[in-house]
Amino acid sequence: MTDKKEKVIQGLVIALITIAVGTVLIMMSNANPAEAYANFFKGIFGNLNGFCEVFVKATPLIFTGLGCAVAFRTGFFNIGAEGQFYVGALTASMVALNIQGAAGIVLALAAGFLAGGVWALIAAVFKAKLGISEIIVTIMLNYIAINLVGIAVRTFLMDPAGSVPQSAKFDSSVWLPQLLPPTRLHAGFILALVSVAVVWFLLEKTTVGYEIKVVGFNKRAAACNGISVMKNIVISAFLSGGLAGMAGVVEVLAIQKKLLEGISSNCGYTAVLIALMAGNHPVGVIVASVAMAAMQVGANTMQRQLGVPSAIVDILIGLVVLLILAKGLIRRKKVKNA
Amino acid sequence: MAILEMKHISKAFSGVYANEDIDLAVEKGEIHALLGENGAGKTTLMNILFGIYTADTGEIYWKDKKVRFVSPKDAIDQGIGMVHQHFSLVQKMTVLQNIILGLKQDGIFISKMEARARIVELADKYGLKVRPDARIRDLSVGEQQRVEILKALYRDVDLLILDEPTGVLTPKETQDFFGVLRKLKNEGYAIIIITHRMSEIMEISDRVTILRDGKKIKELVTAETNPKELSMYMIGRELKGDFEIKEQPDNGVALELKEICIKKGEKALLDHISLTVKKGEILGIAGVDGNGQTELAEVISGIRKSTSGTIHFLGEDIDRLNVKQRFEKGISYISDDRHADGLVIDMSLKDNMLLKNYDKEPFSKKGVFNKKPIEEQARQAIEKFQIKTTGTTGMESITKLLSGGNQQKIIIAREVNDEAKLVIANQPTRGLDIGATEFVRQTLMDVRNSDRSVLLISADLEEILALSDRIAVMFGGSIAGILERKDANVQKIGLLMGGVTKEDM
Repeated sequence: MTDKKEKVIQGLVIALITIAVGTVLIMMSNANPAEAYANFFKGIFGNLNGFCEVFVKATPLIFTGLGCAVAFRTGFFNIGAEGQFYVGALTASMVALNIQGAAGIVLALAAGFLAGGVWALIAAVFKAKLGISEIIVTIMLNYIAINLVGIAVRTFLMDPAGSVPQSAKFDSSVWLPQLLPPTRLHAGFILALVSVAVVWFLLEKTTVGYEIKVVGFNKRAAACNGISVMKNIVISAFLSGGLAGMAGVVEVLAIQKKLLEGISSNCGYTAVLIALMAGNHPVGVIVASVAMAAMQVGANTMQRQLGVPSAIVDILIGLVVLLILAKGLIRRKKVKNA
Repeated sequence: MAILEMKHISKAFSGVYANEDIDLAVEKGEIHALLGENGAGKTTLMNILFGIYTADTGEIYWKDKKVRFVSPKDAIDQGIGMVHQHFSLVQKMTVLQNIILGLKQDGIFISKMEARARIVELADKYGLKVRPDARIRDLSVGEQQRVEILKALYRDVDLLILDEPTGVLTPKETQDFFGVLRKLKNEGYAIIIITHRMSEIMEISDRVTILRDGKKIKELVTAETNPKELSMYMIGRELKGDFEIKEQPDNGVALELKEICIKKGEKALLDHISLTVKKGEILGIAGVDGNGQTELAEVISGIRKSTSGTIHFLGEDIDRLNVKQRFEKGISYISDDRHADGLVIDMSLKDNMLLKNYDKEPFSKKGVFNKKPIEEQARQAIEKFQIKTTGTTGMESITKLLSGGNQQKIIIAREVNDEAKLVIANQPTRGLDIGATEFVRQTLMDVRNSDRSVLLISADLEEILALSDRIAVMFGGSIAGILERKDANVQKIGLLMGGVTKEDM
């Protein structure tokens, strides 16, 4: 059997298992599966608003997922996209509240990228200088970043006119433009696609990407051939954090238009799964992010219309990831039987 | 009365005999040396005895009973202990914890008091000084070895197998270690010591069994033999030189090392190495694996930093240059470990050809790759070196899917280019078939004949003698002696390899 055929069959098997488990879960919540699935797809394809919402939700996932993919390529396990998202959102908000117009947008993007990058860099330095696992450090940095935002919206960034922990609304001149009003689809999605293209080019067509690839595959060979392992881990960590920071920037400039807590929808953690499903490939990140977002949008409709808990989708996402990981197992068994 | 008899032991790995019809008998109170070159089958034979492998054919008699050990645990339970070349101790645990690790216990708790008392008693009796509460990671290699031996003695073994036990020891530690072995022998323990060091065999063993190419060549009583005879049996045939060697005028020095040292803790990996490689010369480096050859290659190619000493290449001080800069000066390196050092086996042939010049024009400009020259480079390599790629994928073939010979050709195509002025070839033909071996040797010869230099490191004496203009022998991190081709022969090299210095010869 050819590799391609095998991949298609694997995909079909995973889809079938997922649908079967989904059906059982829907029946357990006392709903008619056919009706539930109909609502699921109606939520995604039923109207323009829902359809665009898929891409709105996919946007931060693309940024953070891309970030994780870049880091994973050198074997730097950045689990800190969540924290990098929040420092990105925080710095972007500080810029957006003070500088107006296009300059504000550009500066907010730059500041968010830089902040996210530096946030990841801290973990890279800990790894390089002290040999401490970047997994631990990035997770710790998540707590710090999340709570920094919590402090900011209660103190120096708090809206002086209000009493809730959030910043004042940004001036409309720094909002990212909407693409298809009245849907929420915004320029951030285009920015995400451009980022994918740039990262793809960087990884596949430049010497920077080549070095990252070599370091990711074989650190010893990299060193033996004069490629600095540390330098490339630092580069990929910075890039990774910067991309996750962009997710935060786009979220505050396009969706929330102010800074508040809990705005990440855990996209920093979902990013790890996205990168995994995408096999760390930039284009795969788009596919995985859109698929993940579509499932969430469809599930929300299902919940609204039929009261089927949207948590079912989270269960199914977990299942899909496990099945993808188990693929190798299936293949190995086949070889044994052959 | 033999306590152990192995009869007609054979073991093949994918059709190739690692052991073929080998007999070995060891008596109580005897130190029996197992001598042979790398790949002669010593370790395979001991792994069969210790239950790690199972013999295809043959019988093992242990204390007059026919046995078949299915696991090391089985062998230990029956009274056979083995100390491997690489120790199997838990670094974070104490000596005491390591020694009693995995033992059957009466009740829930092992009595630490009793265990400690016994360890101290054993240690005193045989002169195995250790501190029971010290952590393994804080111990020197010599101390760790003592722990390994104690671990075996604690399990009441009658036979102790020691695989290359002195390779990691300093001369002083070796002497202490031999003291321990003599005590054990006097207590009636049987000991098998795997080694390739002639002097140690002469000093410590009672009998020697010599293996070559998986077969038993000879069994000798140590007192009735000498190092010359031993090395003759170990290496075998007089070797032939196959190459037409064109006389080279003296073109001057390409590489000069002065007093190069690499220290790792107390032990010197390289100990004041001084040597020169001339233009148009192949300098062979002979020696048993692990005597500093790889460190030497890595210090010249720039992968390792020296602790002291200087390196000059074509009259220029290159101490401060990194791998890439040295490659640009013309120093190429063919590593002995293709998969770890030389190739990124998950990448394609094309990408592996780029490893050293990806950041040079025309392959990339301002960091962006140019497809055409990259593909041209790969195409030329495939054509010139006749690299067999997998199916239709050509230069996009993933390297790990290619055969060892073809993988080696990729490295050679990359490293031995027109700009290479010194090629460091570390075990360049290991694991290759005859055809690929011939090709590699011819390539190195061509480098020499075009007035460039080769540093050829090989454990294969035949290869060294066939190709080298001069031969340096390494032992224990230093140069034991340098021989001109006309003065070199297997016996002389064998003696130097075994640690006999040139002055003693």
